[in-house]
Amino acid sequence: MPQLVPFYFVNQLSFGLILLSVLIYLASKRLLPQLLQRFISRIFITLA
Amino acid sequence: MASSIRAAAKVDWSKLTVSLGLKKETVAALQAFRKRNDEARRVVLALKEQKTDIDFEHYRSLLKNKGIVNEAEKALSSFKPVKTDLNAQMKIVEIIESKAVENAKKTVARVDDELKDLHSTLTNIEQTRPFEDITVEEIVKAKPEINDIVEKMVKRGQWGVPGYEEKFGYGS
Repeated sequence: MPQLVPFYFVNQLSFGLILLSVLIYLASKRLLPQLLQRFISRIFITLA
Repeated sequence: MASSIRAAAKVDWSKLTVSLGLKKETVAALQAFRKRNDEARRVVLALKEQKTDIDFEHYRSLLKNKGIVNEAEKALSSFKPVKTDLNAQMKIVEIIESKAVENAKKTVARVDDELKDLHSTLTNIEQTRPFEDITVEEIVKAKPEINDIVEKMVKRGQWGVPGYEEKFGYGS
């Protein structure tokens, strides 16, 4: 298995970090705010 | 004159002041006018009830000095009521009338505005679409403060709305 070969450790680590940071960025800037906006809108139209 | 008195008697003051939704100052002016009208009517009635004829023969038989009775009779017969110039009062009445008309116009304009609002609300109600057809963008367009709330909550790191899941169920 190449994951266990020490030669690829740095590569995996760097790609893992890049992917994780992109995911966190997207979630905090787009996905979660959109979800929150949907929740609040739903509450608004239900209460009004 | 008689027709105006009849018309004035027909005015339903309580309805006029309560049900028409007039401004406070208009109601106060109307009440003051009513008071003045009642007072004037009372004074006119009191004056009408007073005697206007004098029996001079009676006084001639009573008094020894006939000359003074004759003089009084002459004075009475030559008496002519002084004509007063009512122009100033008419001017005041006109000013009051113009003010009342102005207020009435304002009230009409206000009522018209309210009617327009109500009509637009009615058309809005008639044209409402079911909740399923409304998109989040449309709601945010109608209520821009939602964006501010979202921004504030994101800054605070608050990703959930309190009471949402209890209201709509978990995972909905």
